[in-house]
Amino acid sequence: MTPPPKRGVQALNEALHEIFGRRDDVYLFGEDILDPYGGAFKVTSGLSDAYPDRVITTPISEASLFGVAAGMALRGQRPILEIMFGDFISLGLDQVVNSISKFREMYDDQVTVPMVVRTPMGGRRGYGPTHSQSLEKLLLGIPNICVVAGSECHDLGALLIQAVEDERPVFFIENKLMYGRVLRRPEDGHIAELAVRESDGPYPALTFSGTDFAEASATIVTYGGMLPVVLDAVTELILEHEIFCEVVALSQLLPMELDTVLESVSRTGALVTAEEGTLTGGFGAEIAARVQAAVWSDLRAPVQRVAARDGIIPSARLLEDAMLPSVDDIVAAVSALEGVRS
Amino acid sequence: MLEIVLTREDANTEFALLAEWLVVDRAQVTQGQPVCVVETTKATVEIESPGAGTIVQLFPENAEVELGKTIAYVAETADELASIDAEPAAKPAPKPAVGDRKATRKAAELADLHGIDLSAIDKRGFITEKDVEELISRQKASEPPEQGQALAGLSTEGVTLPASFDLDESVGALEAGFLASIRADPDSFRALSSDEKVNALRDAGAHIGVGVDLGEGTLVVSPRIVIEDGVRIGPRGTVVCEEVVAIGEISQFGADLELRCRRAFLGAGIWAGRSIRFGGGGHRDPWATLAVGDLAFVGDEAFVNVCRPVLIGREVFLTMRSIIVTHNIGHSVLEGFENRFAPVVLEDRSQVGLAAVLYAGCRIGAESIVASNSYVVGDIPAGSFAIGVPAKVTGKSSHVLSGARRIETARRMIDDLHELLALRGHAVSAIADGEPRSFEVEGTHVFFMPAFRGAGTAPAVVLTLEVHGEMADGVAVIDLVGRRVHGSGGIVLDSVREFCRKRGIKLEPGPWAYPGGLL
Repeated sequence: MTPPPKRGVQALNEALHEIFGRRDDVYLFGEDILDPYGGAFKVTSGLSDAYPDRVITTPISEASLFGVAAGMALRGQRPILEIMFGDFISLGLDQVVNSISKFREMYDDQVTVPMVVRTPMGGRRGYGPTHSQSLEKLLLGIPNICVVAGSECHDLGALLIQAVEDERPVFFIENKLMYGRVLRRPEDGHIAELAVRESDGPYPALTFSGTDFAEASATIVTYGGMLPVVLDAVTELILEHEIFCEVVALSQLLPMELDTVLESVSRTGALVTAEEGTLTGGFGAEIAARVQAAVWSDLRAPVQRVAARDGIIPSARLLEDAMLPSVDDIVAAVSALEGVRS
Repeated sequence: MLEIVLTREDANTEFALLAEWLVVDRAQVTQGQPVCVVETTKATVEIESPGAGTIVQLFPENAEVELGKTIAYVAETADELASIDAEPAAKPAPKPAVGDRKATRKAAELADLHGIDLSAIDKRGFITEKDVEELISRQKASEPPEQGQALAGLSTEGVTLPASFDLDESVGALEAGFLASIRADPDSFRALSSDEKVNALRDAGAHIGVGVDLGEGTLVVSPRIVIEDGVRIGPRGTVVCEEVVAIGEISQFGADLELRCRRAFLGAGIWAGRSIRFGGGGHRDPWATLAVGDLAFVGDEAFVNVCRPVLIGREVFLTMRSIIVTHNIGHSVLEGFENRFAPVVLEDRSQVGLAAVLYAGCRIGAESIVASNSYVVGDIPAGSFAIGVPAKVTGKSSHVLSGARRIETARRMIDDLHELLALRGHAVSAIADGEPRSFEVEGTHVFFMPAFRGAGTAPAVVLTLEVHGEMADGVAVIDLVGRRVHGSGGIVLDSVREFCRKRGIKLEPGPWAYPGGLL
């Protein structure tokens, strides 16, 4: 029997309960996370009732939260930090850039900093310039940390548990829309009509194909909250134009490992990157640079990047929609590839 | 009626929990009264009633409600409450998930063209054009094509084919020698008079009715020819069919008709203008079948390409210069250009506006209207109005009249007819404004009565919406709804018929031509 549909928030909540039950060195810090409120997005619901000593509500002071978590991690605990909106990780980045990411090497491997920063990113909710951004790209330039962003087709709970078990500092990016969306895991190697392969490793990548991994027109690499937008675009391209694309949904953004992308590009000969953050200096830019260097001879067209326009996110939904990458943008990028074939 | 909508403000997810109703269902509430508690991800909020009235709750407590949904109505009057109760309960409609539509557009179109049920393709994943092509070739391989399959599996649903379509194959067959002689020297045949042509064809085996007129310089040649009574084909016509041409009674075609295909089945009472062309590229193809239903109208200079079946239903209105094509002119299929050969179907009583183009493969549903200059590339559902390039459905082609409205509209036809005849200089009496509404012209009474119940004073023409009794001699009754004429009459009846025809009411039985003239 298929399990009942589960929303993102539920999967993450269950994983937290599981890891708290399994390990007594796990702590959770954050603003407004106590029951009955259970956090702005309800991810921590029920946790403070069950583990009152290990779930700690904090003042609005992100910089100090990062410092406290780092100290606990250095002393052998497993702190999880909830930053209510990803926009505010910047307040803690000094700790990350100058301390958390460096302690292990600076102290010659005598310490690790096994902490997790959980935070929601993403727009499409009309929250305006300071509560809607996708700032993953700020983290991609920090060596020695791990950035994980699951999608609605990943086993979100398993990813979170893996992040807590990880000896490295992990930023665990959650997409706001994903909290309310029903997760869709592969069944019998498929999600809906698309065949899906899941890579090995702690933070797997998913590769989707409408042709059962035979020849296709392009590879679209994406992550997190962009995946449903990309899948809608891929479905439209198939149904309306019979243009088949493979989709690679990474969950490990850093350290960047692109084996699945390179393998897919070898079948498709073209690459489109899709991210919700702004274009310049982004996820897509880094991937484009690496892929062209690795498999230049496999590419028949320049890499296309789909991303938000460089600018600040407006509050008005129509303006926000115009700024953020859409299904139409992805369809246009694929259609613009040279020699796109059906 | 007021609505209580779960707004999006201060909420971080798609859903919110309807935690508690503060009033019972159907309670009287006042404006500003808190009616429920909603728990969103950032806050627990009380929602107030937007006005006074009876609250109708649409969700139970503890329901997870999608933001933007109406959670309750506040009925301000008893009528509003009753209308809410008449509506089916609101259900949140889930967004279709990826892959709900399994077949691609190309696959669905190809399957549609070939009448293939996509459920015959058992496949995991998307159904593509290639899958349908493979099924078609498998089917073709298992059933070799048979000659004479006029419609090649095309559905005739919604199309009333002319009687001649099912004609016995022995009817109207020409002697081989005669056929060869006209084919060898068509000009000599063209030079004959109408009577000479009719007699020569009859003598050679063709079925030609009485009163058939083949215009000056007109050629008709086909292995089988069936032309019923009263058919008129204007001057300089060319009718050349590879297998059969059949035309129903009193159909008429204007000058310079060109009709070339394998099989032409034309109905009765067709009215076709001048310089009409049926044929074009591929008209000798094995699938080149043309059927035009009874009472169809084909306007001047219409062009109907027939290399695949073209079915034109009963009372279809194909306006001047409209164009139907059954194939495209393409470049190489190996370079990815489309190469399409597909039938076109116009179901009964559909209308195609001036200079509209119907592309290969489209089907115009019954009673639909395609606006002038539109370009139709797909199917138009029955009863719709489509306009644009490419044509899009923007509404319905007609609307239902109430009984009273129908009577008023029909009554006004008497006034319009009266005005028309008076302006044409005929002596008409004043309108007798009563039940029935009537006037007199040329010694004949013209009436409208909602229902005709027998008898009537001769001579008279009665317009009515219902016919019940028998009519007296000299009384003609026009059933405007059933579109039939009962009884007979002279020039006044013919004039009324023509007046009705111009309002889209084509009456049976014919004629639809008036050799005796009109008022």
